[in-house]
Amino acid sequence: MAGAASLRQIAFYGKGGIGKSTTSQNTLAAMSHYFDKNIMIVGCDPKADSTRLILHEKAQDTILSLAAEYGTIEDVEMEQARLWGKGLFDKETPGGWINCTESGGPEPGVGCAGRGVITAINFLEEEGAYDEEGLDFVSYDVLGDVVCGGFAMPIREGKAQEIYIVMSGEMMAMYAANNISKGILKYANTGGVRLAGLVCNARMTDKEYDLALELAQRLGTQLIHFVPRNNIVQHAELRRMTVVEYSPYSDQAREYKELARKIVYNDMKIIPTPISMDELEDLLLAFGLEDEVDESQVGKAAHEA
Amino acid sequence: MFVLGFHFPASMGNQIPDELVAEKIADVDISDVKEIKLLMGTKDKDKEWISYTNKDTFLFRAMVHYFKEENPDKAQKYMIYMNRYQMSAISKRVDAADDETMKLCHNLDSMEQFRIEVA
Repeated sequence: MAGAASLRQIAFYGKGGIGKSTTSQNTLAAMSHYFDKNIMIVGCDPKADSTRLILHEKAQDTILSLAAEYGTIEDVEMEQARLWGKGLFDKETPGGWINCTESGGPEPGVGCAGRGVITAINFLEEEGAYDEEGLDFVSYDVLGDVVCGGFAMPIREGKAQEIYIVMSGEMMAMYAANNISKGILKYANTGGVRLAGLVCNARMTDKEYDLALELAQRLGTQLIHFVPRNNIVQHAELRRMTVVEYSPYSDQAREYKELARKIVYNDMKIIPTPISMDELEDLLLAFGLEDEVDESQVGKAAHEA
Repeated sequence: MFVLGFHFPASMGNQIPDELVAEKIADVDISDVKEIKLLMGTKDKDKEWISYTNKDTFLFRAMVHYFKEENPDKAQKYMIYMNRYQMSAISKRVDAADDETMKLCHNLDSMEQFRIEVA
């Protein structure tokens, strides 16, 4: 594997729309700014929004779009595909730096999106991006679930060693977290990937902390942080900035700083113990998020019940 | 594994005994603190001050430790949600006999924001 022995390769997975890109960028910004970590972000989502807050841009050119423009990946130059962060995250600014890449993907309905991830990682390895002097972390921000093998590529081939699952106290987010754990379990022995913790990007629903904690314990991992909902995140996003840059002394910046500190010092990397669908439903029932269903009522319309 | 911000080695697993967490805050000096004041809420009209004076509890000691850590000016401090949820969870086990503390834990378990001061 390319890169220094001390290089840590982490990934943020989670259900689509859960706030992975927002959470990952804000957390990585805090790791860079407060803990002087040098980071490369590899956006693995066709919508290419994994780096916009670091770059203060709408979206950077993706590796696949550049390959399409030039006709072949061999003609793409690294400095076109990899951009240095703006403001606090520039290489010339004191403290840590962040550089950014996006894999991109095919047009909707055409081709395999996961293939973009594979192409991007291979390109970055061949171009020496993992050998950048001083690089401490590579962070993969991966779309949705691991049902597509392409999106499992960072864990399948041991590229990402530590997986952080971004979830919330909602059923589908927890279902996805359990599913991702199954994917990690599948490749844990061949690629060495480990689950490093759940990050609850809170929707502020009832008993959300307790539910997230319970799921983490059942999976054999930790709830590494509970990120409360705060409008300042959206205000910062409107300016295409992370909270750390937009309002460094805000309460939310303190939350991201704490999550960043925990990731920097985290040594809990485990092979997860996914639970069955029945157990997951029981968990939701136990915390009152799902009503117990009378089996005799299943399949009946409201007026029949 | 992190509890109240303290790092416990991964070899200790994902459920840290309460006694080990209590050990981490055993040395905090609470002699100069008579009262913990918590500001609960985010919107001005809904903000509420809560006073907490029961010094014989885990929760009191944990809060004083949280307040004093990296706070040389003793300024009002925002409470990280995860830390206060963890404080409450442990307190509900070890301070269960104290009604005042259990009432405060109920508040800490909410989605409200909290700020802490000591006097």
